[in-house]
Amino acid sequence: MSEKIVHMALFKEEELEEVGEALDVLRGMGVPEHDISVISGVPFSEKMLGRPMSWTRVPYIAMVGAVIGFLTAAFFNFGTPTLYPIKVGGMAIQTIPTSIVLQFELTMLGLLISTFIGVFVETISPSYGPKGYDARITDGQIGVLFEADADLDPALHKSLTGLGAEMVHGTEAKKLWVL
Amino acid sequence: MAEEQYPARWGMVIDMNVCTGCQACVTACNMENNIPWVGEDDAGYGRTMHWMRIHRTWSGEELEAKPTFQPVMCQQCGRAPCEPVCPVFATVHSLDERINVQVYNRCIGTRYCANNCPYFARNFNWFDYSYQIPAPMNYYLNPNVTVRRRGVMEKCSFCVQRIHEVEDRAKAEGRAIHDGEVQSACAQACPVDAIVYGDLSDPESRVSAAARSQRRFVLLEELGTHPAVTYLKGEGNYGG
Amino acid sequence: MAAEAHPIPSAHAESAEHEELREQLMFDPRPREEMNRMVMEAMTETTPRYWTVVGILAVIVAVCLFGVWGWMIFEGTGTAGIRRPVYWGMFIVTFVFWIGISHAGTFVSAILRVFKAEFRRPFTRAAELMTTFGLAAGALYPLIHLGRVWVFYWMIPYPNARWLWPNFRSPLEWDLMAITTYLLSSTIYLYLPLIPDLAMGRDRTSGWRHIFFKTLALGWRGTEAEWFRLKTAINIFAFAIIPVMFSVHTIVSWDFAVSQTGAWNSTIFGPYFIVGAILSGVSAVITILIVLRGTLKHMTYFIRLEHIDALGKLILIFSMAWGYFFFNDYLVSWYGGYEVTRSILSLHASGPEAWIWYCMLCFNVVIPWLTLWNRKWRRTPWLMFIVTVLINVGMYFERYTIVPMTLAHQRLPFDWGTYAPRVADTFIPIGSFFFFILLYMLASRLIPLIPVWEVREGQEAHIIRKIGKTHIPSVSDLD
Repeated sequence: MSEKIVHMALFKEEELEEVGEALDVLRGMGVPEHDISVISGVPFSEKMLGRPMSWTRVPYIAMVGAVIGFLTAAFFNFGTPTLYPIKVGGMAIQTIPTSIVLQFELTMLGLLISTFIGVFVETISPSYGPKGYDARITDGQIGVLFEADADLDPALHKSLTGLGAEMVHGTEAKKLWVL
Repeated sequence: MAEEQYPARWGMVIDMNVCTGCQACVTACNMENNIPWVGEDDAGYGRTMHWMRIHRTWSGEELEAKPTFQPVMCQQCGRAPCEPVCPVFATVHSLDERINVQVYNRCIGTRYCANNCPYFARNFNWFDYSYQIPAPMNYYLNPNVTVRRRGVMEKCSFCVQRIHEVEDRAKAEGRAIHDGEVQSACAQACPVDAIVYGDLSDPESRVSAAARSQRRFVLLEELGTHPAVTYLKGEGNYGG
Repeated sequence: MAAEAHPIPSAHAESAEHEELREQLMFDPRPREEMNRMVMEAMTETTPRYWTVVGILAVIVAVCLFGVWGWMIFEGTGTAGIRRPVYWGMFIVTFVFWIGISHAGTFVSAILRVFKAEFRRPFTRAAELMTTFGLAAGALYPLIHLGRVWVFYWMIPYPNARWLWPNFRSPLEWDLMAITTYLLSSTIYLYLPLIPDLAMGRDRTSGWRHIFFKTLALGWRGTEAEWFRLKTAINIFAFAIIPVMFSVHTIVSWDFAVSQTGAWNSTIFGPYFIVGAILSGVSAVITILIVLRGTLKHMTYFIRLEHIDALGKLILIFSMAWGYFFFNDYLVSWYGGYEVTRSILSLHASGPEAWIWYCMLCFNVVIPWLTLWNRKWRRTPWLMFIVTVLINVGMYFERYTIVPMTLAHQRLPFDWGTYAPRVADTFIPIGSFFFFILLYMLASRLIPLIPVWEVREGQEAHIIRKIGKTHIPSVSDLD
């Protein structure tokens, strides 16, 4: 098994079509999709580059959080008056109109906090695809990261620089955070 | 065998026909319930702490103006607007006496209850008034009633300490409470017996009989607060 | 995809239309490195004048807000001017005012995002900061106005030895829940779109700023998965935080509306307060944007007159909506309402403090309707500054009319009284106002105020198409 090194081809943000063609070149050379990663400073939809859609579980985590919030509110509204009934204002012990407020608020709180937790957990989890980074990405460049066999190197280099990319060979995964 | 006392409904009837506005009830209430003096400046600014006050209204032309007097205190509403708005349950409806109770050590001082009371019957401890009483003058304080510190709401309690005292004694002696045995401080002090205090749930008590009078009205009836205090019309005060 | 990546076709000669379009931010792109540099410079270059102002503000806040508050806790709530029957005074007025201001950020960043209004792009973060700090200032007030602050935590539902729970039927308890939800959500909603800009800052700084950005940027690289996840989360937030925003100010209005107090027990308070909050908040956004343009470097590139213009149109609409709701409440009560409501309304208009009521109507309705219809005036920063400050003064007067002026004149004439603010009532609101400004100034040093990636995304999406003989600007939907 030949060694796989991570390369990065840097394009300028305006050269979106060249990025598309570069991806075609890579696919033509036999680099599988999961060994290619595109990083950019501005979001580009996967459809623009002909890439498979990414997935995220954040909506499901958000739903779970909303349900937890709803159940907490149900406990506050209907459980606590049963635990310690206190009569006020001639009202019933458990009133539905007043409970709607808390149900809504805590459901939304659960939804939003769990969305954030989902984003946080997914971000710090290990990700697929080649690692690598360059500070020029946030300065308006698009980076195409790919892992390819070492023997494909010269051919790839020639075709990608022909499209106007700046090649960085052997990018290492930089430690961008504590993990 | 002690008779099982079903939940009472303590109430009051105030006869406007005989009230002279002498303020004996106000003074008695102050003494009984350790109501603090706030000083001249705060009193002038409207921060007096009297749980009971005499509403004095003038009628008639200048030289013939006549006052009418109406003692007003916490009406102990059956559907009290002050109760559901307290965020910490510091004012709740007692199930035994069916009056509105104020729990001093739970109150955090949001003052929502006072805003929501249509009779503005509640008072707030703006400062540590009671702590300013120099010794040995503080010996006059009634030991049966809590002394409130700053930040706490207070209001007329229908002398609940007297209710409990009589209930305890009656229970110890194994009998029911007689009508008239419990007297609120204001009812006890009134020189003309304008205030009748008793158990409204007992149809034969003096207060129930008085409350059935033809002259009866309640304050701000249209609000549906079901107060426990009934007024009787008379002497120029036609109420309602 | 054949969309022209160059916003302006370089092959054609620059026509007059192009020149005019260049005045809009979306048609005036600069290289990304330059935009990044501008934003970082605005953040990192601090002048001695800045430190002087921050120092003065810190002293004022320490004395007026925390000092006077501490004194009030020690002495008692009586140091404020509240009394029977006006048990709520300036503290509640200022509380509602701050919660109202905090609605601006959500309106700008969430509602405009949902409606795909492109002009929102450069100032969403400045507005969201306003929300967070407005809530921070406002959330102090439920503590400040308490008689016994040291036991405020009894309002929080936690298991305790007495098995006591707070009263979830109380609007103040709803306030606690709603404001906590809104504060946490808007902080997170501020943070999520900030991550890519924090990554940009991480790549361009060193020292303590670098560590700060590196920790908060969560190792952001900009992969497709990261962008997709971020956009999903931002979409969830944008859609979800709008009902939260509506509910927060509705709940604050229910502090008044569920009571039986005359002139408070009105079903229109919910939408009335929301519209007032958005009016007040968006005006404050305009005020802050004009200040930012004048004080921070390079801001005139990002925040242009077109943005002030667009926001000015918005506040004209909301001023009309406010007038509609106000008149609704007024007419219905005046015509056939209760005696107590009618006498309160005539007290508002003709009593000793009627000047407040008239100023409120003048600043909220008359001045906006006279000035904001004119396009040229909407693009004049100093005039917009004056108009928006006056709108906020008018909204403060509105809350003053609703709280103390109404409580003073209830049903039983023996209980009527007047209210005059005293030392605590006056200095603590002033202190909280400067607290807000101080927090904002400190934040401008810590995080980039402009979401550069959003501006860039917008600039990528805007092109000029040739239709017939003319050039039309057009936006494509990049999602």
